[in-house]
Amino acid sequence: MSPDLAMVIAAVALPFVVAALTPVVFRVLGEGTGFVGTVVALTSFGLLATQYGSAGTVGLEWVPSLDLALRFYVDGWALLFAMLACGIGALIFAYSPAYMHGESGLVRYYAALLAFMGSIVGVALAADLIAMFLFWELTSLASFVLIGYYTADDSSQYAARMAMLITVGGGLFLLVGLLLLSLVASDVLGPDAAFNLAAMLESPETMQTALRERGLFLPVLGLLAIGAGTKSAQVPLHFWLPNAMAAPTPVSAFLHSATMVKVGVYFIGRVRPMLVSTEWLFLFATLGLTTMTVCAIMAVASTDIKELLAYSTASHLGLMVAGFGFTSVYGAETGVFHLLNHALFKAALFLVAGIIAHEAGTREIDELSGLRHDLPVTAVITVIVALSMAGIPPFNGFYSKELLFEAAVEASQHHDIGLLGWLYPAVAVFGSIFTVLYSLRFLSLFFGERPEALGHVHRPPVTLLVPPAVLALLAAVVSVDPQLAVDAIVQSGLEATAVDPHEMHVGLPTSYSPALGMSAVTIGVGLVAYPSYGRLHDAIRSIPRTVPPIEANWWYDTAVDGLSGEGRVFAETVHDGTLRTYATWTLTATCTLALAGFVAAGAIAPTELGVEVSLAIALVLLVAVIGGVAVATAESHIAGVLTLSILGFMVAIFYILASAPDLALTQLVVETLVLVIFLLVIEEIPERYEVEIGTVARDAVLSVLVGATAFVTVLVTTGTRPDGSSEIARAYAEQAIPRGGGANIVNVTLVDFRGFDTLGELAVIALAAISILTLIVMRDRDGDRTATHDGDELTGDDSAGTSSDGGDDE
Amino acid sequence: MTGIVLAAAIGTLFALGTFLLLRRDLIRVVWGLAIISQAANVYLLAMGGIAPATAESVPILAGHGEHVPETADPLVQALVLTAIVIGFGMTAFALVLSYRVYEEHDTLDVTELGESE
Repeated sequence: MSPDLAMVIAAVALPFVVAALTPVVFRVLGEGTGFVGTVVALTSFGLLATQYGSAGTVGLEWVPSLDLALRFYVDGWALLFAMLACGIGALIFAYSPAYMHGESGLVRYYAALLAFMGSIVGVALAADLIAMFLFWELTSLASFVLIGYYTADDSSQYAARMAMLITVGGGLFLLVGLLLLSLVASDVLGPDAAFNLAAMLESPETMQTALRERGLFLPVLGLLAIGAGTKSAQVPLHFWLPNAMAAPTPVSAFLHSATMVKVGVYFIGRVRPMLVSTEWLFLFATLGLTTMTVCAIMAVASTDIKELLAYSTASHLGLMVAGFGFTSVYGAETGVFHLLNHALFKAALFLVAGIIAHEAGTREIDELSGLRHDLPVTAVITVIVALSMAGIPPFNGFYSKELLFEAAVEASQHHDIGLLGWLYPAVAVFGSIFTVLYSLRFLSLFFGERPEALGHVHRPPVTLLVPPAVLALLAAVVSVDPQLAVDAIVQSGLEATAVDPHEMHVGLPTSYSPALGMSAVTIGVGLVAYPSYGRLHDAIRSIPRTVPPIEANWWYDTAVDGLSGEGRVFAETVHDGTLRTYATWTLTATCTLALAGFVAAGAIAPTELGVEVSLAIALVLLVAVIGGVAVATAESHIAGVLTLSILGFMVAIFYILASAPDLALTQLVVETLVLVIFLLVIEEIPERYEVEIGTVARDAVLSVLVGATAFVTVLVTTGTRPDGSSEIARAYAEQAIPRGGGANIVNVTLVDFRGFDTLGELAVIALAAISILTLIVMRDRDGDRTATHDGDELTGDDSAGTSSDGGDDE
Repeated sequence: MTGIVLAAAIGTLFALGTFLLLRRDLIRVVWGLAIISQAANVYLLAMGGIAPATAESVPILAGHGEHVPETADPLVQALVLTAIVIGFGMTAFALVLSYRVYEEHDTLDVTELGESE
């Protein structure tokens, strides 16, 4: 069954439309706007659900001749991700009103959340590389707005900037990768498929062979990996994610655990069939397992519950990336299934963290304990989702982690990858041990003695409890009957991401396998090591204190501070407030670039230099240049003005000699007016202005540079012009009488063919006249001028307007 | 090939304009702008090709468009005409602005003006 265009477009567009209407909705409903968001999310979810089971591309034609279209691609993987975003979005919107109660700036908050949800559905369904990239960057933008929600808080602004810099910067790498991909696709699959991701995925082998033949396989793989890695917080660019916890908790649960950070993982899964290979295995398995282990260790070192969950999120993202990195079908199963499982338990855990922070007033792990007395329902929820995160059987996290172990074992058995074949399973187990540790630590917040220092803990309102409870319930359902989830959606997601999909079966193991042994070791060592959690925690924390460069944050700060310092110095040098400096830098840069461009293009070739102007023109130009020299060396203002007029009138004569009488007429009128205005102004200012001359030599050098550039440009550009008039000019000449009704080509062009240009020109003159009038009236308010001069100035400007008209009418 | 004379003249005018642009006297800066825009206009016209002027060579059609006279490119002429008028507007505005600056700050020295801010 092929998807229905209207339904798909409605599902993507609805959140954006409501986001635009948020200010109106908020005015009516106030803090209840969140529930409107829930309705929107559920509607989108429902629209997507109607497409369940369909697969294919639908598109809205835009420019058919260029094959530009807004295309959407629907399959199991896209639907899984899009519906996950809408489903969790609905819960987050329901959770927000109670959590954000009494905050200001809620319009911005809800609008950004809704726009974000639309973008994430867009990323999931985009079948076009351009659309995908746009939606991808939109999610980064929404994330920036939401992380920086507390605008008065410096640390949240810092975190927002960091997230923006890293994810959008990574997005640029992705863009280059996508463009390379489209170049190859338009070669191999025809120009129609240049940006069509769906078409590329239909012939993955052809694409991979073509990429390899052109030597672009590794560059494309690397660029896409950087894009996906920054978005999905992979080491070493993971550090923005823990900082992003400055956002309100519902945002962290939605964007920074369940959806936005999974866009990278989603994309890796999307292009997996096209790029899967040995290099793919090395790159993504190594990247993913490193992230998984490093971030799990960092999570153990955390002191704040949201920080713990953030590092844990990065760690689980690493698990998914590693899953997709393994080339076997188990790898794809890991990625798809864990994407679902992680969204269920991690979003719930964030919402639990939000409840704790909201009701207990602190997020410090050391200050929290024995919360089950105050928060019994939350405690039950946490037991399910924390054990799921730890991967303890029979909770749902166990099944997908088991699949990762299977994939790692399969890779070491069936691929000749040497030492890595041992290292991959070992690292997977090692990292998972830390996962068990921090999961138990989070769970322990609810058990043990209730500390005295902890003040009164409020009962959370029901709207805070229902969303995590729904997620925990779903997690429990998947735990009890994982095959249900597999049949419902995971299988179809697998078919889109695996190279050789087969019927997927998940359940509690009934016989021994290496993977089961690895799970047993993980859980066993985790439980044994848990009593020494405090010592581990302190030991890990002491490392960055002694060696700061080991922290990714340190690199970021150093780089950004260094760059801003450089930027400030540069700006102060170039923009120091004096006109001379601006002119010097601009002109030098322009001339250097222009000359370099001519040299690079090989335009400066020794051609024969003709003297193709008549003696009369040469003489007129000579007088004009002499006039210019006289202006430059004039001692008094009056001498300068008069010599400037000589230059202007010479140019007018040049126009006559160059067969452009209309220009000559205009120039004569304008020149006369300028002379009059100059004389009027000069009357009011000192006759000569003494300025010390100290930098003449430097100015002369710059002037010669500009003059030389102009000289070369004139030679180069006028030398290569086509013979005779341009095509447009010929067309104008032919059409002047039949269509313009006038014999003077220039005037018909001005008032008829290019009438709007002339209109714009008149607007400029009118604006100048109004500005001049304003300046003079302002002066008059000071009361030190008479009105007679205003009249003169105004007359000058009025005649300026008529002069241009006069020129046109000639 | 337009010829070295035109190129040299335009180049010299640009150089002179730049030199004036870098002066500290605001009025001279305005002169510099005026000279540069004149030179740019000449350059634009030269790009369209210059036909020597005779009594016949005006961009005016004799009959019903059968014979198009050999002139400087009429399209470029129209563009330059617009540029001349706009250049005039700019010069006039810059002048009155300098005058106001002088009224306000009692100086026309751009360096001094830059420092006073």
